Amino acid sequence: MDGGGPERYTPPGPAVFRVYRLDVARSRRGTAPGPDDLRSGGPSDTVRHHRPGPRRETPLNEPAPLAVELRGITKRFPGVVANSGIELRVRRGEVHAIVGENGAGKSTLMKTLYGMHRPDEGEILLDGAPASFRSPADAIAAGIGMVHQHFMLADNFTVLENVVLGSEPTKGIRLDRATARTRIRDISDRYALGLDPDQLVEDLGVGDRQRVEIAKVLYRGATTLILDEPTAVLVPQEVDELFGNLAELKREGLTVIFISHKLDEVRKVADAITVIRRGTTVGTADPRTTTARQLAEMMVGAELPTPQTRASTVRDTPVLELQGVTVAAPDARTVVDDVSLTVREGEVVGIAGVEGNGQAELVDAVMGLRSLTAGTVRLGADDITAWSTRRRREGGLGFIPEDRHRQGMLLEAPLWENRILGHQTRPPAVKGSFIDRRGARADTQRIMREYDVRAPGPDTLAMALSGGNQQKLIVGREMTARPRLLIAAHPTRGVDVGAQSVIWELLKDARAEGMGIVLVSADLDELIGLSDTLHVMLRGRLVATLDPARLTPEELGGHMTGGNTVGAA
Amino acid sequence: MTLLRRTGLAVFAPLLAIVVALAISALVIAVIGENPLTAVRVMLDFGETPSQQTQAMVVVVNRAVPLFLAGLAVSVAFRMGLFNIGVEGQYRLATILAAAVGAAVALPGPLHVLLIIGVAMAVGALWAAVVAVLKVTRGVSEVISSIMLNFIALGTASFLLTGPLRGSPEGASVITTSDIPESGWFPGLNGVVTGLGLAEPRSDLHGFLLVAVVAGVVVAVLLTRTRFGFDLRATGLSPSAATASGVDARGMVIKTMLISGAIAGLIGLPDLLGTSHHYGTEFTAGLGFLGIAVALLGRNTPVGIALAALLFGFLDRAAIPLQFEGIPASVVTIIQGTIVLAVVVANQVARQITRRQAERGSARAGASPTTGDGGRTTDEREGARA
Repeated sequence: MDGGGPERYTPPGPAVFRVYRLDVARSRRGTAPGPDDLRSGGPSDTVRHHRPGPRRETPLNEPAPLAVELRGITKRFPGVVANSGIELRVRRGEVHAIVGENGAGKSTLMKTLYGMHRPDEGEILLDGAPASFRSPADAIAAGIGMVHQHFMLADNFTVLENVVLGSEPTKGIRLDRATARTRIRDISDRYALGLDPDQLVEDLGVGDRQRVEIAKVLYRGATTLILDEPTAVLVPQEVDELFGNLAELKREGLTVIFISHKLDEVRKVADAITVIRRGTTVGTADPRTTTARQLAEMMVGAELPTPQTRASTVRDTPVLELQGVTVAAPDARTVVDDVSLTVREGEVVGIAGVEGNGQAELVDAVMGLRSLTAGTVRLGADDITAWSTRRRREGGLGFIPEDRHRQGMLLEAPLWENRILGHQTRPPAVKGSFIDRRGARADTQRIMREYDVRAPGPDTLAMALSGGNQQKLIVGREMTARPRLLIAAHPTRGVDVGAQSVIWELLKDARAEGMGIVLVSADLDELIGLSDTLHVMLRGRLVATLDPARLTPEELGGHMTGGNTVGAA
Repeated sequence: MTLLRRTGLAVFAPLLAIVVALAISALVIAVIGENPLTAVRVMLDFGETPSQQTQAMVVVVNRAVPLFLAGLAVSVAFRMGLFNIGVEGQYRLATILAAAVGAAVALPGPLHVLLIIGVAMAVGALWAAVVAVLKVTRGVSEVISSIMLNFIALGTASFLLTGPLRGSPEGASVITTSDIPESGWFPGLNGVVTGLGLAEPRSDLHGFLLVAVVAGVVVAVLLTRTRFGFDLRATGLSPSAATASGVDARGMVIKTMLISGAIAGLIGLPDLLGTSHHYGTEFTAGLGFLGIAVALLGRNTPVGIALAALLFGFLDRAAIPLQFEGIPASVVTIIQGTIVLAVVVANQVARQITRRQAERGSARAGASPTTGDGGRTTDEREGARA
């Protein structure tokens, strides 16, 4: 199977590089950053968030030594070339974004730079001098710090304890809290992180936790920070704050390497962009002259569809009716408050909202994972309020969960068992009360083929797949059961552009065939592009019903924050 | 191929652990001033005459049967992420009540045996159900409640033995329940042993071996081939994903504990039905705890547990001959203990290797030529639609 595909992508010749680099140089010299770069780019460039930090401080004309330079980095794993001929040039004091699809080799590259493994070929230069890392400790000593996507913090420790953990200042054998506190306050003030050293981490929000992670790295004296998908876990407001922090870091002369596949954000925050595709660098781009679409096309090497749906396919028959649905949290706080909505056949009902405003609880309530304190849920003609989750699924509810690792997959099980998950009572994977292993394997293979899930075979463990491929498997599995109603919670979160467009197409197809879809998302373009009706959820209530055909992301953002004002941020 | 590598790893980890444990044990024996090689010789020496040799093998298997059942009981719960530490109490209570019922009635052979088995399984299941109900309704950790219930079960068993169910005469040094009449005995398998051309051993090979094999097969099929088993394993792998897939987590806790307890109820029956025919103060204790070790060593699969039980049986047999050579029998316990510790470590290492391989697999899936063209599929979809 491996041999049959098209030949490997050939690394781009210098021509590609030169083209993009010229592009960078020209635009840098020509335009002064100002209000007019808000206008640059295509239709997706309607910028809602303010731009953090001025860009003009980057010294452009003088040949400053590169903070990080990678030359021809190649990393092979048995039978695989994860990185080949990677070229990366990061100037001191810039925010340099590395974009690429999931599985393109970004993580491998960053692991190389952070000393987690050694490259087979190529060299790493820091400030012009060759460097070689045996372990992350070497990288840290050389001033490279990494902020991981998944936070590595001890919840029941204070900020101070978390920051110093592993490099504690001591007085005798005791932790020297006074020194640590002074240093952390110092770092916090200098980079405007706003941290209180004595707060417990469990009391902090996601944004604050991320700042603790950043403080941890700074505390160890990092001058180059690698941020691995830092915005994946943040809500829009927190993203703005993070970008503000990055501007502070830059102002202090630190270098930031920012890994992402959210192109709008990358274009907002980065000074330079390097695009990686299939293990190699395909070029660099200037964030101010390149549109998100152009970047995305560089990433996947093809033109992209938009989430825009075409003609309305909404029919009359309702498939899901919520009447006064109210859900209480374990602490008796009302998290979903009197929500009523109807989803008809062939209709996509979008639910917008800043995360944590009750969307997750609403989804749980519809799936039967959380009990209602009031209200009814009807699926077609049936009142399913009292049905178990399994009965609801059998009755025609499909579910693409928000957190696929928590609710959608068994990571340590093979793909064919994951095919069965959620469909334990239905063929083709199950015969009576027995598992049909052969049927499940065959159907998994079909899903892999039809939904473009890239994996060696149905016996591969789910954890071996990239996020996008896991998600495509989940989507394929749910679509296969032909549900009447599909609940898609953040269906394209954390997946790359290629998988995103595939998933959008699948949702559109399903809608055209008469499936009702509840779409919960934080991606405003996705919501506006796919929904037929759009509800805004704020503090557990549906506060507005909007027509996505006449709605801009700015307006939607205003409704989501409750301000109704354009550009509230 | 990956399957081969995965099974290879599954076998390799415990084997390595056993070798490490034996090395540590050899060190311990050397430290107490005995020759480790003597110990090895004694363990491998099954006697000179064919009869002695078969006898040794029968002892090993007879010891392995209850250990296997105990491991099986633990593993069923463990596959769902439940620690049934209460197997000890479950089988002790089940055995004394089954012995009492068996002694109190007289039925035709097979029915009598079936009744005893049924009572034992029911008592074990009910005792385990207490744990499940506490967990489901009150959120009590099954570890705590099952440990506590062990004390209650042992105390209750002692009370029943010395009080209402006492069958041995007043003043006897060993207190027992009344003997089960012969119709409630499980026939031995010595006919099969001699039929295989082996010498007649001194003691009977437990016929209950067959029940254990059936239980193992049933559990294996249940876990890997049925919907119920899938739900159970899914809950063990990720309770949140299982719930979202429609598994009723509370129901699963109860059902799993019932099954685990029912199997635990069988543990005492090989001895009860095969040799002793009564429950008493000298009835084999500690099998429930050994079962945890056996399940760990066997990585919670029936075949693995069978091998682990045989290994433990083999080591236990050596306890008496070792003493003849002046080596304390505790050496066996030390070996078993170090094996379990080493296995826990080895399993963790194996897990990490699997994970690393999976990561490489992901790099392969991401970068392999089959990825061809990330956007092409989309284009094709677009093209097909247009």
